[in-house]
Amino acid sequence: MSDENITPLTTEAEQSEEKNLAALFLQSLLNKNLRVTTTDQRMFWGSFKCTDPDSNIVLQDTYEYRQPTFQTLRKQTSSSSSSSFLEDVSGGGTVKLDMTSRYLGLVVVPGEHIVKMEVEEFASQMKK
Amino acid sequence: MAMAQDELSPVLQEFDGLSLGNYNPYRDEMAPLMISSEGIVATDITKKFFAAAATLEPGTLIKDGYFTLFESVGALEIMDPKMDSGCLAPGESLDEDYDVTRPLLPSEVLGIIDQLLCLEMAWHLGYPLSQTILTNVYIEAMLMPCPTTIQDADFIRDRPEGTPRDPMFAVLRAYCLGLLKTCWYVNERIKFEHYYEEEDFVTNTYHRSLLDNIDRNEIRDEIMEARKTIHNLGHRISEDMAQALGFRLELRTAFLRAIELSELRSNPESLSLPWSQMKAIWEPINKSRHLGTPVPEAFSTKIQRRLASTMPPRPIVQLSFEETYGHFKRLFNDGIDVLKVLDYTDSQSLLNFVQTFQAQKPQPLVYIRALLQFFLFKDMIILGHLSIRHVMDDDLSIVVLPLSKLLDPNNDRCEVPHDARFAMSHQMELFRQRAAQSYLDISRAFCQNRCRVRRTLCHSIQDWETVQMDAEEIDQLLQIQLDEKPMMYQTSLSVESGAAGGEPAYSLPLSSWAYLYKLRLMEWIVQLGFELDTYAPDELAGMYWYLSYLAKMRASHVERIQKFTVARVNEIRLTPHTALPDEMEAKYQRSMSYLRLTLLDAAVTWEMADALSCLYTVLGRLGAIVAPPRPYSSDALRYDIRMKPFAPIGLPELPSYDVFEHASTQAETSTANLLEFASRAVGVVKKGYEALSKLSEKEAFTANCHSRWVAGTKNCFKSVIATSIAISTVKTAVDKATIRGRDVSVALKVDIPRPDKLYHEWWIVPKVTEMLTS
Repeated sequence: MSDENITPLTTEAEQSEEKNLAALFLQSLLNKNLRVTTTDQRMFWGSFKCTDPDSNIVLQDTYEYRQPTFQTLRKQTSSSSSSSFLEDVSGGGTVKLDMTSRYLGLVVVPGEHIVKMEVEEFASQMKK
Repeated sequence: MAMAQDELSPVLQEFDGLSLGNYNPYRDEMAPLMISSEGIVATDITKKFFAAAATLEPGTLIKDGYFTLFESVGALEIMDPKMDSGCLAPGESLDEDYDVTRPLLPSEVLGIIDQLLCLEMAWHLGYPLSQTILTNVYIEAMLMPCPTTIQDADFIRDRPEGTPRDPMFAVLRAYCLGLLKTCWYVNERIKFEHYYEEEDFVTNTYHRSLLDNIDRNEIRDEIMEARKTIHNLGHRISEDMAQALGFRLELRTAFLRAIELSELRSNPESLSLPWSQMKAIWEPINKSRHLGTPVPEAFSTKIQRRLASTMPPRPIVQLSFEETYGHFKRLFNDGIDVLKVLDYTDSQSLLNFVQTFQAQKPQPLVYIRALLQFFLFKDMIILGHLSIRHVMDDDLSIVVLPLSKLLDPNNDRCEVPHDARFAMSHQMELFRQRAAQSYLDISRAFCQNRCRVRRTLCHSIQDWETVQMDAEEIDQLLQIQLDEKPMMYQTSLSVESGAAGGEPAYSLPLSSWAYLYKLRLMEWIVQLGFELDTYAPDELAGMYWYLSYLAKMRASHVERIQKFTVARVNEIRLTPHTALPDEMEAKYQRSMSYLRLTLLDAAVTWEMADALSCLYTVLGRLGAIVAPPRPYSSDALRYDIRMKPFAPIGLPELPSYDVFEHASTQAETSTANLLEFASRAVGVVKKGYEALSKLSEKEAFTANCHSRWVAGTKNCFKSVIATSIAISTVKTAVDKATIRGRDVSVALKVDIPRPDKLYHEWWIVPKVTEMLTS
């Protein structure tokens, strides 16, 4: 899938160096909160515990967030809601909505269903 | 707080520009989401992550050191339709098609309410809320988001100010309020007591609050208001309909009231009023259900996806209204009955109440059983007004120590350490502390489901074994304080062995008391084994023999207690050379009558068990009951397993396999003699049960539960009759075969009924019919 694997230009030493870096990167993510979006547009927010070569991901204390359904979207856009957690950009207009969430606990998200992954960090602690 | 789009941090904006399109097949249909929260920055790592993970060798894992793969077995696999409750089928939407604001006809409201009644009962029977009440769209709309005030608790939230609620909405809303609050109380009560989660009941509310922060009085007012609304509608709805809706609302008020009153734990008469009221209105509710129109669209399994549950949606549990009707009727009757426990007369009646109440078939619902536990044990105050000491001392005075100095409350007042009374008070208190838990646990155990009763008792007998040993030590200390003289006591064993005069023995009242309970517990374990269909047909001969063995032990133990009690009371009587005062005489007679009752009960138990044991032995010999082939075990090993609960018990010691084998086959006794013996035993039992069933409430120690007890005794009597019929059928067949000659085999058909088909669950009486052979 990734281009790096096909290019034969790297030496063995470079390859193992690259592998080490990759493992370090993944290790650095452990216990951080990830936001994992799946093919069906749900997002799972939980603490990262484990992964494997297929990018199957284990998250602990996970909450599921779901895009508001069209029904609630219609309802909410007609009446103006105040506090919000989510911003939805649809066709240029911006609507703020509460995302519906649900506690799930320990989950495995299979790599094949992952479309997006984000790691959360405190703005104050980020490297400049 | 959210930041507006243009205020987003540069990092986010930058990542927004990344090509997510490759990974997102839905991009065209739906714009990507952006989640904003203050102070936290989310960085897209999709590409980097996939690339990094791809370099891992097959089989390697990157994982947190504290995270074990064992834990991960319990993880839910997302997008697996069997595990992931949020996984939607292609084209499926989470949207509820049902509009809760659509106008409702009165008949529809009635239909929804009746459906809710069925679901409520299904919940009581042990199905989770997610498959019952929480499948209703009105309930869901009322509970989400969680209402904090009574005004919020409505399925239509932002009603314009000043507009009155539609009358039909008002009725349905009031009903739902009452229902949810009741469910909350029921759930809390059950959670507080001892029960088995998912076996008896599911207390999970899936993060939905069942109106716990809304006051019941406010809810009651809303229901009253709704009833007024119906009244004010006048002729706009038919009178029948108005009444039908009114009754249903009344049911909710009464249920809440019944719960409220039960907290008082006193005065059963007044506590039973709302239960009687429910019982009375239940009939018209049942008769008016044809007026309702079902609204199946108002119930949906889709709601389960929004609950805090890891379970994919499961079907709604549909009880028919007939079933619901029966269960509720039973609930209301039990609700009235269970209150009678609050009328305390004596400790033995209390135990009998709990036992007979729980032995009912089917068993009372979990909520009622939880109520019974609440009445019995809440805050360690028995029945709301008795101390544990009061009940225990009462029991000791009935069973072993009538008129004893040991139970004199004045002992506590003695403060002189070398005074005997001081020591007595101290030792008795030690004993109570030691035995109280085991004693209370008997009643607690009987409040569980039947399988659990048996399991719990199997553990309890070991506790009682140690209680008995500790009690014996205390007994020995007390007999010094009481200056007790040993008595020549002849056990039935020593009579058999020909020893004259017996041995000097002390009364050992406290350990005698513990031993008696242990024996009863052991008998109950075997008897519950019959009730729960634990034993295979070829085991019955042996198990009935063991029951008879235990009952004989009990009888001889009670005889011993009786002897010592009589001797001790005679001493009290003789010293002043006068009759006892009435009150003391009554206490003495009460104890005597209890011992007589126990003796009689033990006697009928052993005779009946003997009769059945002989009958099953004969049926085994005649080949009418054949053990299935068991090539991988031996009879002795199976005996070890079967008797495992009794193995650690020192007294009575578990008979060795040889003894057991010998007793259950009785090889040296001829078939004719066995049958003869069985029919003689049955004759004795018949008289025994006749005598038992004539006992008064006082003599039988069955205050408040006498009719249940008599019914049970009568069922036992029917079992005796059935046994004698079975014995004579076998006898005729055997006689016929003997006349015809030795070679003719006896052809009998034996049918062993299931426990629910028996006259009494504890007596498995076979149905024997002669097969016609030419």
